[in-house]
Order: sequence, then C-alpha cells, then structure tokens
Amino acid sequence: MSFSRRNFLIATSVAAAGSTVLSACSSGDAGGSGTPSAGATEYTGAKVTIGTQADSTGPAPEIPGAKTGGTIYGLAPDDFSHLDPQRIYYAYNSTVANVLHRCLTGYKIDASGKQKLVGDLATDTGTPSADNKTWTFTLKEGLKWEDGSELTVEDVRHGIERSWAPFITEGADYVQRALTGKSGKWRDAYEGPYKGKHLDSIVTDKAKRTITFKLAESKPDFNFTLAMHSYAPVPAKLDTKEKYDKKPVACGPYMVKAHTTDKSMVLTRNKHWDPKTDPIRNAYPDGFEFRFGVETLDSTDRLIASQGNDAYAVSIYKGVPAERIQKVLTDPELKKRTFNGLIGGTYFYWINTKRVTDLKVRQALIHAWPLQQIRQIYGGPSAGDIATTTISPDIIGYEKSDVYGKLKKPQGDPEAAKKLLKEAGKEGQKIVYAFPNDPTYNKTKVVIENALKAAGFTPVIKPIDSTSYYDQVQQVDNSYDVMWGGWSPDWPTAFTMLQPLYDGEAIGNGKNNVSQTNVDWINEGIKKNAVISDQNEAGKAWVALDKRIMEEVAPIIPETFTRRFYVYGNKVGGAQFDPNFSATLLYKTFVKA
Amino acid sequence: MFRFLVRRILGAAVILLIISALVFVLFYAAPRDPARIACGKVCTPETLELVKKNLGISDPLPMQYWEWLKGLFVGRDYTSYGHCDAPCLGYSFQSREPVLDTILDRFPTTISLSLGAAVVFLIFGVGTGMLAAVKQGKALDKIASSASLIASSMQIYVVGVFATYLLVDQLHLLDRASYTPFTDNPGKWFSGLLVPWLVLSLIFTANYTRMTRSQMVESLTQDYVRTARAKGLSRRTVFFRFAWRGAMGPIITIFGLDLGVLLGGAIITESTFSLQGLGMLSVKAVGTNDLPILLGVIMVAAAAIIVFNIIVDAVYALIDPRVRLA
Repeated sequence: MSFSRRNFLIATSVAAAGSTVLSACSSGDAGGSGTPSAGATEYTGAKVTIGTQADSTGPAPEIPGAKTGGTIYGLAPDDFSHLDPQRIYYAYNSTVANVLHRCLTGYKIDASGKQKLVGDLATDTGTPSADNKTWTFTLKEGLKWEDGSELTVEDVRHGIERSWAPFITEGADYVQRALTGKSGKWRDAYEGPYKGKHLDSIVTDKAKRTITFKLAESKPDFNFTLAMHSYAPVPAKLDTKEKYDKKPVACGPYMVKAHTTDKSMVLTRNKHWDPKTDPIRNAYPDGFEFRFGVETLDSTDRLIASQGNDAYAVSIYKGVPAERIQKVLTDPELKKRTFNGLIGGTYFYWINTKRVTDLKVRQALIHAWPLQQIRQIYGGPSAGDIATTTISPDIIGYEKSDVYGKLKKPQGDPEAAKKLLKEAGKEGQKIVYAFPNDPTYNKTKVVIENALKAAGFTPVIKPIDSTSYYDQVQQVDNSYDVMWGGWSPDWPTAFTMLQPLYDGEAIGNGKNNVSQTNVDWINEGIKKNAVISDQNEAGKAWVALDKRIMEEVAPIIPETFTRRFYVYGNKVGGAQFDPNFSATLLYKTFVKA
Repeated sequence: MFRFLVRRILGAAVILLIISALVFVLFYAAPRDPARIACGKVCTPETLELVKKNLGISDPLPMQYWEWLKGLFVGRDYTSYGHCDAPCLGYSFQSREPVLDTILDRFPTTISLSLGAAVVFLIFGVGTGMLAAVKQGKALDKIASSASLIASSMQIYVVGVFATYLLVDQLHLLDRASYTPFTDNPGKWFSGLLVPWLVLSLIFTANYTRMTRSQMVESLTQDYVRTARAKGLSRRTVFFRFAWRGAMGPIITIFGLDLGVLLGGAIITESTFSLQGLGMLSVKAVGTNDLPILLGVIMVAAAAIIVFNIIVDAVYALIDPRVRLA
C-alpha cells in the first residue's frame, strides 16, 4: 500500500482525473454513507485492532439481506497493471488481488469500517518470539488452489522467495530486508528459488503446516507486513514466472476466467475456495465482469443513470470526480447509493529545516497556512478533513491533537505568525514554495501566496513539472523552503509514517525525509518505539512522539486527510469503502433481487 | 502513375524513418524516466538497473534505436518476453503486450469510428454546402451558414457529454457508446457507434458545409462554367459536371488529411466516449511514458496521413483533368 511518489505520478500524469489511486489503511469515518461534518471528524483512534484466533475462523459474518448469485460489473479507467502478487504494491491492483489472492494475515472489515488484523491463510496473526525476531504461522486446513491442489507452507515460502527473481521489481521489500538484514542490498543475499535454493531464514514444516521467519532485526508488527499482497503465496508447481502476471493461480474466492489487457476481465468462482477457511470474504456474486478504459466522469454518469448492466455496476477504484460531487450529494436518492471514506495517510507541506533553520519561523509558517481556503479549492468539507498531525486517523493509537490551534483558525492566523517572525527577527523572510504544476495546485498557490504575504513573509512561488515533482523535491540540495507532499502508511502502525518522514537515516536523494529532520531524540524515539511489542502501547508512544515533533521541530505543515466518495448502481448491495485501498470492497458486494 | 507511386512510397519510408528517430530523441529529452515509472515505490539503484534491462532500455540511445529498426525487419529477442517476430514494434512498457498486437486490436475501433463519421459528414457536409451554394443569399443558405458556424464552434467533449445525457440517459433513443466488432454483431456495432459518429461528424459537417459552399460559389463564377451555360447545357449538367468537379479538389485534399488524422486516433472523441481506439491508447502512452506504444501509434498515424495524401493526389488527377501526375 503506498501513498507515495509513484501514486502521485499516476495521479498527475496517467489518470489525471482528480481522484488518485492512492492507498490507505483504515480511515476515520470509513464505511459510512453520509455527508461528513464541516470540521474535522471525531475519530475514535481505535479503528484497527488485532483479532484473536476465533476472529480468524471462517466463514465471514453474513451481510443482512445479501443474496448469492448474479454478476457484479466493475468500471475503471485503467486495467490492473499487475496480477502477479509479488508485483502488486499499488492500491488499485490490490482491489482485485483482494478476491484472487490471500495472505497469511489480512484485515477483517466490519460494516462501520473498523478493522481487525486476523489470520487469513494462517490460523491466527502469528506467534512472535520475545524479541520479535522470530515469527511462526500455522496454515489452516483445507486451503486449496484453483486447480484443487493443496496450498502448502512451501507455496507461502515460494511466494516470498520469488521476490528475488529479476522480473519482480515492483513489489514491497520490507520482508526481503528483514529476512536478510541487508537493507537496500537485499538482492545480493539470495538468487531466488528458481535454481533450487531456499532462504535459510524461512523454515517450513509441511506436516505441521508451520512456517517460521527468522528476521535479522526485531519486527513487532511483522504480521501486518505479511498482509501485503506482495507476500501472497504462489504454487511452485504452477509458477509460470513472467507469464504468471497475466494468469495467476487463485486461492481466493474468484479466479480469472478471461482477460483482454486494457479492455476487460471476467472473474468466475474458484470452486476450491472454502468459505469456512476465510474469515474475511463473503463472495456473494457468481462472478465479476470488469470494463477498462471507462473514464471516471463517464463511469460516474453511467452509475448515476444505472441503465442495463450499469445498475449492477460499481466503480472499482475511482471515486466520484469533483464535477459530480455536488450532484451526488444533493440528490437524496442518489446519496443513498454512495459511500465514502478517508483515504489513508496525510497530505502536508514539508518545511526544509536545512534552509528554514529557525523553529519560530517554521511555527510561523504553520500559523500562517490557509488550510480552509486550500480545502475549499479541493471541494470543501466533502473533500476531506483538516489535518493537524502527521499520523492519520487510520493508524493504531491515533489521537487528535492541535498544537497550533489550526482547527480553531483553519483560515490561518497571520497575527500569530507575525508575532513569531518578529520574535525571531525574521520579518519579511523569503519563502520559496514549490508545488506540482497542475491546475489544482496552481489554484492553491494563490491563497498560499496571499496568506504568506499577510503573515509578513516574502513568498517566491516555484511550480515544478508534476511528472518529475518528487524527483526534484527529493534532492537534498534543492532550493525550496516549503514543498507540497503526502504520505501514507503501508500498514496501520505509525512506524511506516514517522520513520520514512523523520528518521535521520531517511535523508538522501530520492528518500522521503524531505524536511531533512535529523534530531537525536527523534532518531532514538523511532528506534525505541519500533521494538515495542504491544501495538496499542506502541501506538501511544508514536502519537506522543509525533506531538513532540510538531511542537519542538515543526518540520511539516499538516494539510488534509482526504475523503473520497463512491457511487454505485441501484441494484448493487453491500457496497462499502475499502479502507485499505480507498476503493470498493468487492468481496462484500451482492446483486439485489 | 507507377513512377509516381514508387517515388511517393520511397519518400514515405524516409519520412517515417525521420519521424521515428525524432520521437526517440524527443522521448528521451523529456525529464521523465520510464524505468523510474515502471520501478516500484522502493526503487533501489539495483532494481532500477533490472527494470531498464527488462524494458530493453539499458543500452545507449543510438543502439536502442538501431535495435528497434532491426526489429521491424528481422524481429527481436527480449530477456523478459522472449522472441518478438518481425515486424516487431516492441513490447509495451505498461501492459507488457506486443505493441503490434495492441495496435491491431485497437485499430478496428478507430477505423469504424473514423470511416462511419466520414460517411456522415461527407454526405451531409458536402450536400448542405452545395445546397447553400445553389440557394446563395436565400434563407436556406443563411440557415446552413449560421448552423455550420455554430456547430463548428462546438467542442466534442461538450457535445458528446450532452448528447449522451440527452439521447441516451434521458430520452433513451440511442444506445450508449460502445464498440462491438462488426463481425460479432453488425447491429450492435452500428448502434454502439451511432452517437460518436453523430457527434464527431457534427463538427466536421459544419466545416465541410462551409468549405463546399465557398468552393462552389467560387466555381460557379468561373469562366468555364459561364461558357458551359452559354452553350445551353442544362443547369444540372453544368452544376455537377463542371462546377462540382472544379470545387471538389480542395475538399478532397482536406478530406484526405482529415481522414488520415482521424485514423491516427480521434483522441478527444475516443476519450469522451471511452472508446478503446488508437487515440485513447496514445493518450495513455504519453501519460505513462510508454515509448514502444507511442512510437507504434505515431508510426501508424503518420503512415495513415501519408497514404491518404498519396491517394488524394491520385484521385485529384481523376477528378480534375487539369491536374496530371508528374
């Protein structure tokens, strides 16, 4: 799951249709179908928990009124770029991977959007050693591939080991790093499984159905990592290597029946999938038919009209575009056919601490920033909630805090900013603001420029080619003071947010600590929190660290937690927001009578 | 005629060669790295090198171009995909499908859209223009001229969305735009393309009406037309055998170019109606830095324009006896 540069590249260069294919983990107001409040939503902060062995037992809870049978149609502008699980990282690919592939662990999502990490293929969420360096999982009984053959621990191992194959270049690499301890050089440690060698750090026992991971470093949230589709199993005997991407072997409730690249895909039931082994997926329709190349505005209009097969259709991973939001939200009948949720992660502005060295100046920038006007340009309250922290509401332990009173004065507080600038003796300081050169950010730049002037800064506006934006701001010697950006975690623990953004080791060309924050107590705090076993305790520690960073370093200006709306055909039931991939949760949909 | 064709075909080959070289250079001049786009979120230098090798872009630019050219005639071997038979246009960076197969898959949509619309706009555009010229200065002329001015000011992405809303969603008169191969179901092929044809031809009809009218008006004042009338030929004969033939030259020239451009992909129309033709393919290829697809589509588009230019030149001579092929 990523919210990263690549997704923004897709958003700005490929899709260019407003809503992005960003990913997320759980979100604060997910699953509901109403208009969000005008201000920030009251989050409970406990949207993700770790389930028990009983939670990991199938079948998935029935959805009231749901019926088996029929076909659900899916519309999308682009085909899935990958079906091979090891090549899946981006959220939109995971929307289909959700029904084809299963991992050792997964997220059981209820109707309100709350999630539990449960054992999916595994009987539970795994057993760690005391130091969290060894993790053992036991496979459930009765797991089968689409051809009826048994799914074994060796298949799970093979799925991970083939990440080393030269043709696998797109997946996540957390597990590879953890297994080898070689950081970015993990490829040097192993040549992949195709010459008959296995990793020493994975031990399997086929008879006992156990698989044990021996990690080079302590990873208390390793069971979250294994929920990523990059680590789904692949049957060694049926592995077609490069060709697997076009026709993978399913262990989920559906399998690929037909696929014409960039045009259509037909999924049919995997008869060997046993719902008793699956605590997550309902799988009511007999199949899915996807049509690609349908632009988002077109698909939205088709879903609104709900004619013919479109009445049974959903938008797979594209939300309602800005042009249709008002229509969808102001028509009561139409509004009943919507769901929404916050996409995981946070949008913010990096402050380059190597250039803006004075804390008071950075704090003045936060006070000055016109969050309300910016959100208005994005589409108002329906576009999202104002952010005041790095950690987003979908993260375990999230607590709302507002160090700079931005929720009270979201329009900006030029007086407070001026006061701080005066104290720092930096009145009139030049601020170079960089942003992707596209229509939306060309609008927000205007309100930002005005706000900076009102607060006593001298703004210099620097639009950057949107397709190479991240490449340019991620240069450590860049000449920008404030830079628009965003980040989303790959699983809902704060390690994957704070470490890449604030760890001194994450400074470098192409890396994500763009604010170039390198403070000893932050680096130590990250190391310390990363090894706390209890994720609820870890969550509290991360939230405290985030708050202290905002107070004492102020390296970013949090902007928004973005919301996305979806509309669906009038004969579709069970449609709800997928908080992990900001999409339609396909396996909960059903055809209404 | 034979010498003319040989000369033009040789010229076309040179033009295509130049275009392909230019696209190669321009592609790499852009500050975007296709390997970086194809590389995952955690793109280490080692992984990036692997991606470049997998995509076949790890060699220096001249070498890559040479390999691409060679592939056209003798095929090509890829580490990731195996052998690609000649004429090999490479593999898409994004879909990893052979470019030629992708283009052949999309071309029927574009041909159906272009030719169908061309039939409509030629009949209505030229017909209305001729009527307006005959009725010059009268009500019909004024209505046709004003209507064509309004229609030519329209944008496909506006008219297309409005037509779908009105004719498909509200009045349920026509089917939603879609493409079904003619060989699968001629009825669905026709009904699915009717709205795009009408919308696309609306813009073109207007242009052809205006052009035909002005050409005919000019033609009707020519000496040879006056002479024909003075000789006592019937009004119909003068109009069709003399004036019309004289007026058609420039219209055929523009039609050849228009059709060539449309066959290269009616980008806006295809995007508006979500038709998976060459136009949509090229838009996506630009967005994703998919050089092999981009190059393939540009070659097809350029070839279409060149071929239609040659046909236009040949037809010119048939219609207008004053023109001889040299």
